Amino acid sequence: MAALRDYAACSGCSLCRLVCPMWRSHRDPRFSAEGLAKALQHGATPAQLAAPIEACSLCGACDPVCPERIDLPGMVMDLRLRLANSLPLAGSPLFDDLRASLQRGTKPSAASHSAPLLLPGPDLRGDAALLERVRALLGLAVAEDDGADISLALELGVGIPPHRLQQFLASLGGHSIVAADGLLLRQLRRWLPGSQRMGLGAALGSRPAVRSNLLATDLYVIEARAYHADYERMVAYYDRLQLETGCALNLDLQRIAIPAVAQERPQKPGLARGDDAAQVRWILQGSKATRIVVESLAERAVFERLCDLPVVHLAELGEDPEMIKRRPHAFG
Amino acid sequence: MNIPPVEPGTVGPCPVAPDALQGIKRQQTNPSRWNGAGWQDFVAALRASGVELAEGAAACGVYATDAGGTAYGLPHGVVLARSAVQVAQLLKAAQAHRVPVTVRGGGLTTEGESVAFGGVLLDMSGMSRVLKIDAAALTVRTEAGIYWHSLAEELRRENLDYLSAPLNLTSSVGGTLGVGGIDVNSARLGCSADQALSLQVVTPTGDIVECSDDVNAELFQRVILGYGQFGVITEATLRVRPYTPLSMHYYYYSSLRTAIEDLQMLDRNDASDYSGILTIMDCAVNLLVAFDSDEREAAFRTNWESRLRGHGEFGFALCMLGHYALRPWKAGEALYLLQRKQAVFPEFRRPEYMRDGKMHDRTVVFSRAVWKHWGSRQMVIPDLATPADKFIEAVERGNAVCRKYFRHYTLYCVGIKLRPEHKPHYEMSCVPPDAEGWAYGCEFEPMIEGAVYSRDHFQAFKNAIYDIGVDLGASYYRFGGMMKGYIRRIFGDALVDRHLAMKRRADPAMILNRDVIF
Repeated sequence: MAALRDYAACSGCSLCRLVCPMWRSHRDPRFSAEGLAKALQHGATPAQLAAPIEACSLCGACDPVCPERIDLPGMVMDLRLRLANSLPLAGSPLFDDLRASLQRGTKPSAASHSAPLLLPGPDLRGDAALLERVRALLGLAVAEDDGADISLALELGVGIPPHRLQQFLASLGGHSIVAADGLLLRQLRRWLPGSQRMGLGAALGSRPAVRSNLLATDLYVIEARAYHADYERMVAYYDRLQLETGCALNLDLQRIAIPAVAQERPQKPGLARGDDAAQVRWILQGSKATRIVVESLAERAVFERLCDLPVVHLAELGEDPEMIKRRPHAFG
Repeated sequence: MNIPPVEPGTVGPCPVAPDALQGIKRQQTNPSRWNGAGWQDFVAALRASGVELAEGAAACGVYATDAGGTAYGLPHGVVLARSAVQVAQLLKAAQAHRVPVTVRGGGLTTEGESVAFGGVLLDMSGMSRVLKIDAAALTVRTEAGIYWHSLAEELRRENLDYLSAPLNLTSSVGGTLGVGGIDVNSARLGCSADQALSLQVVTPTGDIVECSDDVNAELFQRVILGYGQFGVITEATLRVRPYTPLSMHYYYYSSLRTAIEDLQMLDRNDASDYSGILTIMDCAVNLLVAFDSDEREAAFRTNWESRLRGHGEFGFALCMLGHYALRPWKAGEALYLLQRKQAVFPEFRRPEYMRDGKMHDRTVVFSRAVWKHWGSRQMVIPDLATPADKFIEAVERGNAVCRKYFRHYTLYCVGIKLRPEHKPHYEMSCVPPDAEGWAYGCEFEPMIEGAVYSRDHFQAFKNAIYDIGVDLGASYYRFGGMMKGYIRRIFGDALVDRHLAMKRRADPAMILNRDVIF
């Protein structure tokens, strides 16, 4: 694989704009990966680019379409880090807690050395029943340290102390990994290049109990970060899934995933959230689906808030009577 | 040190004067540019009228060059188009203060036409929403800054598609209507500009005017294929069609002449829905033929396929094997062809774009391949547009120029069906005045492949291609910007002076897209 390049290689082709939720929302080239790269080429500072740096959802859609192979999400994360360093935030409990957590680290994992591990992330940990269902479907041990603080640090532009990163990666050494957090999955590809990694959606969708319950009338919402982090492989995977099940996917004509969540997590205090409603409208425009199947709990929450269709998590398709009882409307 | 005295007369009175280079003829491609006079007053007036203008590196850097990457310039400030009213306010203020305004859509020009050398850059991508899709009437009304691909994304949700558009995802509708727009179905459906039914235009003096062949027809004729000289297209109503995937066939030739003859034979007989030629130099000439329906494909197979003299992929590989086996000194060329085939061909057969043997989303397939395998930070793509009977000579002579200047290159040839009722649209455009029925265009695209060429080398190459056009009485797609020195040579003084007079009437301060044509 050819080495990734930096912003200096941007030729201004604008292909990244076509897939960028931030550009779609602002219709302003400054709010695009191209706009950031070109501004950097002309000497702009992170402070001058603060608005687009903060507005980016890190969905990674720009990554696979860039013909120059620039690490565009990496560029944005780096800019966030530089921005945070240049404009220290006083009195932000979110940042203070995160920095303290990163310094503290976690206890080493007790999982056996080679067992496959599930990194559930905070959303899935917050839904004990669903986590148990996922664990049962995949037959995986749940990692005690799932790197949630590291993922949040990547997202917010907070420096990760080397000892914390080393501790986290050491706990994953030798394991196959299924990660629910697409941003973390993306970074693991770089940090642990030889490891076996998979997103939660692809892992669950590979289970016959789940796959066989997908319907041709479903709109299957792929979690964008995990998909774009492993684009070439995932394009083939979801193409097969669609052929087999007939379900519709939240892919555009370039086979890039359209995220429902315009911004994954609230970022710096005072910043407005992205326009989830516009994203949901765009995904649903022209759709004849009767049910929405999601891989991400954040997207389940957005669809439940913004549309009338039944919404079900992929793990809930696994014919578990408890799950069916919990969401009867989604199972007809 | 013994310094000999300077011979009298060998050095002018000022050794660093603009004309001090003796014996070296310089072609001035960047004549006296606007110098910023009155900029602050203009900005103040603009802001007072509520128009937002951005200045500084973060705002202007993205516009430093165009897809060509050989013309560089920065605007003093950028206005992101948001509405026709706002564009009208900008142009009124620009007229009053004599500030040039350069309009940019997708920025896919190659001769610096969408690069601002000072003044205001008006970025139309801010006006990129689809306003109304009428599935019954098969029309769409859209803001003109939209990329064709974004329009396709919206249309597809209604199972519709545009008629024809450049095979490039980031071409804008407004920019394309202003210059023509060629697709591989243009031999059947005409150029992209021909699908426009009506336009909303902001004139250079800031009037907002709706125009069509029936309403304000003269403005419509000048704006369509008008290279942005007579107004800013802010909205467009376009014809659309039901979406269909297409079945694609490739035929391979080792002779440009034979392939072009076959292409023209197919076009004359309306034998296919899509047709075009894409080459690897003049060694592997690929005639692509495609169909929207099984019926059309079956008719082609019955009536026309046997007349084609090209080979299938396997047959052509055998021909090439024989050809190069007898010419071992050309092993490097053979290796290049093989490498190119291995890299490029899979792009056109990616399984996620194929269903039941049919290609979905042809523009995505082609455009991604183009950017990946032809794209570069610098692109020069001189072209020749001729009537059908002059086309083979134009391509063969242009091919010889490519061979002389570059190691590797690609030719892209396509026909354009002309609509007689649109003849006024075609005046002083890429459509040659003597073309009847079809015009044919060929793009000559060198592969830069990371090499470094001087601007002079590129310019000499382009000039050599364009000189063929002058000799043949052809036209060009890219005659603006750095190539505008050819405008009088190809169109003649009478036509150019007439258009210049119209331009002066429409744009008294000559502020709109200055130096693109006039």
